[in-house]
Amino acid sequence: MLSPVKIWRNQKKIQKLLNLHGRILSWTKIYVPPLGFESQAPYVIVVVALDSGINYTAQLVDWEEKHLVIGQAVKTVLRRTRDPGEEGVIPYGIKFKPL
Amino acid sequence: MKIAVLGAATTKFGELWHISPRDLVKEAVSEALDQSGCSRSQIEAIFVGNMLSGVLGGQENLGAFFAEELNLPVSAMKVEGACASGGLAVHAGVMAITSSLYQTILVVGVEKMTDHKPEEVAKSLMGAGSDVERQAGATFPGLYALMARAHMKKYGTTEKDMASVAVKNHYHASLNSHAQFTRPITLEQVLTSSIVASPLKLLDCSPISDGAAAVVLSKNKKQKTKNKKQVYITASVVATDSLGLAERQDLTTIDAAVRAAKKAYKMAGITPGDIDVAEVHDCFTIAEIIAMEDLGFFKKGKAAASIREGKTTLGGRPVINTSGGLKACGHPVGATGVKQIVEIYKQLKGTAGKKQVKGAKIGLTHNVGGSGATAVIHILRRD
Amino acid sequence: MYNVGILGYGIYIPRYRIRIDDIAAVWGKNAADIKKSLGVSEKAIASLDEDAVTLAYEAAISALKHADISSSSVEVCMVGSESHPYAVNPTSTIVAEFLGVGRNYLACDLEFACKAATSGMIAIFGLISSGKASIGLCIGTDSAQAKPHDVLEYTAAGGAAAFILGKETDCLAKIVDFASFTSDTPDFWRRDGVRFPSHGGRFTGEPAYFAHIEGSAKHLLHKLKLAPSDFAYCIFHMPNGKFPREVARRLGFSEKQLSPSLIVDKIGNPFSASSLLGLAAVLDQARANQLIFMASYGSGAGSDSFVFEVNKNIEKRRNLVPTFSTFMKNKQYVSYVDYLKYRGKI
Repeated sequence: MLSPVKIWRNQKKIQKLLNLHGRILSWTKIYVPPLGFESQAPYVIVVVALDSGINYTAQLVDWEEKHLVIGQAVKTVLRRTRDPGEEGVIPYGIKFKPL
Repeated sequence: MKIAVLGAATTKFGELWHISPRDLVKEAVSEALDQSGCSRSQIEAIFVGNMLSGVLGGQENLGAFFAEELNLPVSAMKVEGACASGGLAVHAGVMAITSSLYQTILVVGVEKMTDHKPEEVAKSLMGAGSDVERQAGATFPGLYALMARAHMKKYGTTEKDMASVAVKNHYHASLNSHAQFTRPITLEQVLTSSIVASPLKLLDCSPISDGAAAVVLSKNKKQKTKNKKQVYITASVVATDSLGLAERQDLTTIDAAVRAAKKAYKMAGITPGDIDVAEVHDCFTIAEIIAMEDLGFFKKGKAAASIREGKTTLGGRPVINTSGGLKACGHPVGATGVKQIVEIYKQLKGTAGKKQVKGAKIGLTHNVGGSGATAVIHILRRD
Repeated sequence: MYNVGILGYGIYIPRYRIRIDDIAAVWGKNAADIKKSLGVSEKAIASLDEDAVTLAYEAAISALKHADISSSSVEVCMVGSESHPYAVNPTSTIVAEFLGVGRNYLACDLEFACKAATSGMIAIFGLISSGKASIGLCIGTDSAQAKPHDVLEYTAAGGAAAFILGKETDCLAKIVDFASFTSDTPDFWRRDGVRFPSHGGRFTGEPAYFAHIEGSAKHLLHKLKLAPSDFAYCIFHMPNGKFPREVARRLGFSEKQLSPSLIVDKIGNPFSASSLLGLAAVLDQARANQLIFMASYGSGAGSDSFVFEVNKNIEKRRNLVPTFSTFMKNKQYVSYVDYLKYRGKI
């Protein structure tokens, strides 16, 4: 079970990253997922250069093949991230959506 | 710097379900000690390179664990830096001797990975990355795939270029009796293997393996030796960078390796052109291409073509990964950095058998932790 | 006592759609019959990583932008849903935290099947009207679930609508009045710990939906001495395409008054967000001084009826945030298997 304290501490950082714009620096489609992400595979993860000056790594959602290019404009959205299992606190975090 | 390597040995790497970590270490250590001509009582300290004993096996306190197993109740500690744990353990040994606190020490790298499901192992390996990467559902193939795609975009590197690294390393491994994979493979086989994290396919990725490697390092050179060649470590450098890919300056290079290598060449008083043979960290095919550039063997964007043309295959120069590298020899995480030293030791001693690089005098090992957070470079030479 | 109005609103509809044709094909049913009897052709579905929290967040951030109000001025946050991610742990606090609401606010989670959010609207009205609060956020959100092979599978959809309420000045529509009609009628329910809801089939019609909506509507119209002809628009909870059309006809509203609200025709039934999404679609085109009639329905059962009066300020608030039409342009069809994956059923 994910630590509720860690989730709580982490969520403060997430609020600051919502609704930001950026561009894809690189992307990959993961076919062999790690434990906890099986139900989601295959999925795309991207490294994005945010307009604010920092880079961030997260999944890309609501995409079509044409969006999987370096340079594609994206924005940050709030989504569920890791699988909390039957009993755990649900972690929410940042993902990217093509603009 | 002049640290003598008195003995060096590895176990076979592979899916060694029937051999425990204790037995792996005992095997590698006893062979290394035999070669060294040292008595057990001369060993003053043990440095253990390992990453996953705790998270997968529930066992910490690995220094004491193996000290007990080897019946050497001396100074002992685990050194961890993800896939660079082995290299870091060697570096710790070098520091120990350089400090004059110890004269003769043992470094052992060991990893037991095949007891567990691949998904569990993949998750544990991500302990080497950042929490943001874990939350994104990234895997190591995924992180290197991100680097691959950036390299492909910037330099025109192709999937075929990456595949040729795998083909070369499997060819070298077919000459290595300790390698996990013993048969050569073709470009076609690599290109048609299933996708793990695009564009990396199954045969672009190093396997999950078990294995151990050990070296005996000393302030003093070997007294009596039939084989007149003496091998020394003349540089041992560690550099670090951000844990996560997002915080790197450039996705197409491992800057920690660039910095560590520059410092190592200076420490050893040589240039990249002096290297005859090297063991580099090809956890994924793209990693070897990037390493060729980071280590200064080829200019940025030019390594792929040179590899494809066979410049780094046995017969060329510098010859890269005669052991088969991580890809074909196997990658028991904590053991790899130490195995790299063993391979270069054999090359410089002239005992590398069918994969011998003729007249090898100066060698280099390149061991990376995570997607480039830690880089350890060792330079070795023979008298 | 203050008059209370809507200062802004925002919605969110998930990207993925599944066609009724594709669901029917899996179960060997006649799609044409189903489309005809339920009056739906496709529905919107939330992704595996979306839930009532994330949908509510998107609608709310849009509403705050629309109202041009900072999240720190929100003093009340009420979220109504049938798919709160936790049985115990409020959705409203999670959403408010991500919105940056601050600490000096009241948060409240509501449940009353599909009318949870309109109950919230009434509660917030009371707080503002009495002077106890100035700005309130009311959200209806659902990532609706339905048992495979059940008739509900053709209509249960995901979506969210958020409304910022405040004092009448600067509002784009005033809440004139409201009335509720309630009874204990078990037409549709879900036991604690059970994943999918159950329902009484045809029992959900006359004694449930129709009785309660007609009850609250007639009560409110009588109270205000208004007739259907006084309204430019009407909105009813939309469990399918047929019921709202029928109840509108019975109460004396015309097709013209009803059709701008019929989001069910495009996205199905997003439960607690249904009537509020209809209200948002109507407000997108409503003009100053027009009267709007809305009646929600929640199984169990109850109906909340409202009368809104549009203010000329609405013209200043056009095209500031994505509207229902915007979301209609952004859709992607998925197969039944993908639908099962996204809704976590496999």
